[in-house]
Amino acid sequence: MNRRTKFLLPAATAAAALTLTACGGTSSGSKDGAFTAPNDVRMIVPFAAGGGSDIAGRAISKGLEKVTKSTVTVENITGGDGAVGYSELLASKGDPGVLLASETALMTLPIVQDVAFDYEDFTPIMKLGSDYNVVMVDADSPHKTCPDVIEAAKQGEVTTGISGATGPEFVAWSLIEEQSNVKFESVVFESGAEIATALLGGHIDVAMTNPGEALGYFESGDLKPLCVLAPERYDYKPLADVPTGVEQGVDVTFAQWRGFIAPGGISAEAKQHWIDAAKEYAKTDAYTKYIESNLLQPDVAYGDEFKAFLDDYNKDLKRILDKKNDK
Amino acid sequence: MLENLQIGIETAITPHNLLWCFAGVLLGTIIGMLPGLGSATGVAILLPLTLGMEPVTALIMLAGIYYGSQYGASISSILISTPGDSSSVVLTLDGYQMARNGRAGAALAISAISSFVAAVVSLIGLMALAAPVADFALRFGPPENLAIILLGLATIVSFAGENMLRGIIMAAAGLLISMVGVASGFATARFTFGSVNLLSGLGFIAILIGVFAIGEVLHQIHRGGEKPIKATFRDLLITKSELRRSVAPALRGTGLGFGLGTLPGAGATLASFMSYGVERSFGKFKKQVGKGAVEGVAAPEASNNAAANASFIPTLALGIPGSGTTAILLGAFVIFGIQPGPLLFEQQPELVWGLLVSFFVGNLILLVLNLPLAPVFAQILRVPYSYLYPIILLMSLVGAFAIGNTSFALWVVFGAGILGYFMKRFDFPAAPMVLGLVLGPLLEKYLVQTSALGQGNLLILFHGPISATFTIAAIVAFVGPPVAGLIRRRVRAGKEIRETAKV
Repeated sequence: MNRRTKFLLPAATAAAALTLTACGGTSSGSKDGAFTAPNDVRMIVPFAAGGGSDIAGRAISKGLEKVTKSTVTVENITGGDGAVGYSELLASKGDPGVLLASETALMTLPIVQDVAFDYEDFTPIMKLGSDYNVVMVDADSPHKTCPDVIEAAKQGEVTTGISGATGPEFVAWSLIEEQSNVKFESVVFESGAEIATALLGGHIDVAMTNPGEALGYFESGDLKPLCVLAPERYDYKPLADVPTGVEQGVDVTFAQWRGFIAPGGISAEAKQHWIDAAKEYAKTDAYTKYIESNLLQPDVAYGDEFKAFLDDYNKDLKRILDKKNDK
Repeated sequence: MLENLQIGIETAITPHNLLWCFAGVLLGTIIGMLPGLGSATGVAILLPLTLGMEPVTALIMLAGIYYGSQYGASISSILISTPGDSSSVVLTLDGYQMARNGRAGAALAISAISSFVAAVVSLIGLMALAAPVADFALRFGPPENLAIILLGLATIVSFAGENMLRGIIMAAAGLLISMVGVASGFATARFTFGSVNLLSGLGFIAILIGVFAIGEVLHQIHRGGEKPIKATFRDLLITKSELRRSVAPALRGTGLGFGLGTLPGAGATLASFMSYGVERSFGKFKKQVGKGAVEGVAAPEASNNAAANASFIPTLALGIPGSGTTAILLGAFVIFGIQPGPLLFEQQPELVWGLLVSFFVGNLILLVLNLPLAPVFAQILRVPYSYLYPIILLMSLVGAFAIGNTSFALWVVFGAGILGYFMKRFDFPAAPMVLGLVLGPLLEKYLVQTSALGQGNLLILFHGPISATFTIAAIVAFVGPPVAGLIRRRVRAGKEIRETAKV
């Protein structure tokens, strides 16, 4: 036993030291009165490197570094479908040196899972843009418009693929079901890529996904876009010809948003500092490049305006997801 | 094709790209050797460092880390029974036995050679057949994938050997552990006890590190440590007959790995287990497999390499990741502003062909690096265990922490380490548990999807020719060996009436 602890200890200490260096040395800012911008800022990305949140987090942190004097370091704190990263932000209450690259999980997690945070525990800074859904079918599909698909679901069985049981696509389909009084058979997949596979292989009839994930298949002609569930048509070239659902009489617009938030309990000056920095960032080419290469709609919002958007969004989300839980 | 190859060669052998290819495979080998730091974590950690490079160069290096780590992972499996990655878990069986028998150098050399052969064969397949193979892979929907996973689980029967019951117990334990977290296809959290850390389950890699690395260390401390092996340099070299015996298993493994790697979802780990199972059930030297046979090294090693390469087929031809690591690489494409998808071959010929040619270069570097180094690496066995285990422990914990940057993983490692210790002590095999852990989430996902497609009726498995074939094969593999054993015993009992059949 003694021998064991003797050898375990140094290893454990080393690991603990690693944890400390990863977490420490970043907090700075105001104690009393004058707010000074923090030198070292952590940008928490609650998902793994290479994913959509990671791409957003890296773009934002690079952009913020250019418009502020801070060094913004991305940290992928993963686990719990994002919950571990958000919990870390919750624990950083009052620290203006921590930010988090956020998206819809901020609100879905508190509704469907037992987590300690709610979206109202944090300080919304900037909504970068919205990632609307595009409804698509295989190139050989007989369906030509979104109402075609809804009509088919009234006649018989239409199988859809959704990414995640409570993701934005689930909510969007539920809104369509509510509005048109139909029912789709949905198969839950774990990513947009899996859905594309199933659609290409003819295992499901119809699916929706973010334009960024499907663009390659539209360009090659393997998949066919039917409508975008957005208030306005996209400007981007291959998507500009795709009508909106609203044009076709399907009055549903539901998007995944992307943005960044700060912990709760930061001073008004700290909040203003980040909002100002965000506004500067939105003017840069780097911001435009991020939005365009990921095919987002640049409907930005800052601070309280962003908060008001989140309140509305949460209402829709809660109604749909609570109904699912009751079933 | 030839023109493309020329573009690829021109891109891949610029001094700059050669240098980063070398850096990638070298880093990959080291990352692979470290317990817990597998290819997925390695690529994810090093991805940010490549952001300043040219896209082609960055992807050449990242891909180098990926296949380089496949070589490295087997080194630690063979030498210290601590797999660097789940796809090299199988090597802890025969590979480690070979090392204990004084044939560590040979085992390492066989693993490097089979990896290289598999890489070359599967790369030719990748270059020549990417488009048609990718199209065929699309026919694998949820029912087909479910059938393959069932077949994969059935291989437990083949390599559990005489310890059938223990093997099945451990596979079930693996499946059970994989159930922790939010259910696939639903929002329900299971066995999480209100902890957010458990929502996405007990980290598979953390468990792997705990059971193998920590479990082995605790076990060695309990026994007083393995005696250092004093093999002469000559003993460490591979013999002609060993080489000859490896050829057929390596080719079989390559074929199996290539097939499974093409399918998005199944992957290198399943391929290595299945090809090991094939050698154990049908190989010429099947009696020796499990006791330190070269076949038990060559086949799984070839298959996991072939699978890793084949996973680039759906990735490059369709924009669909063929494995966890290629999923991260696809993310890297997007970061570099390259749109993955079916048009990648047309729109980015330099990138795609440059990358493919760099695979040849990288694998060649790995072979040149690994062959002469095999006897050198084997010298590790001369180091008394008491000097080795603090290093193993430290590396394991660093690896576990690096996965998600959270200290929770360290607790999982400790817990799994204690479990691993008792498993070793009471002779419960770890490999079936790994299979259960790897296949559990896939089994559940495809089961839920198949059930949704069939509206609750699982007979949908017999609707398509592919899924029907694999399902029947799975049933045969499950039921076949026990029934055959039963019949054999009955026959024997009939001949020697004195003996009663043990059922």
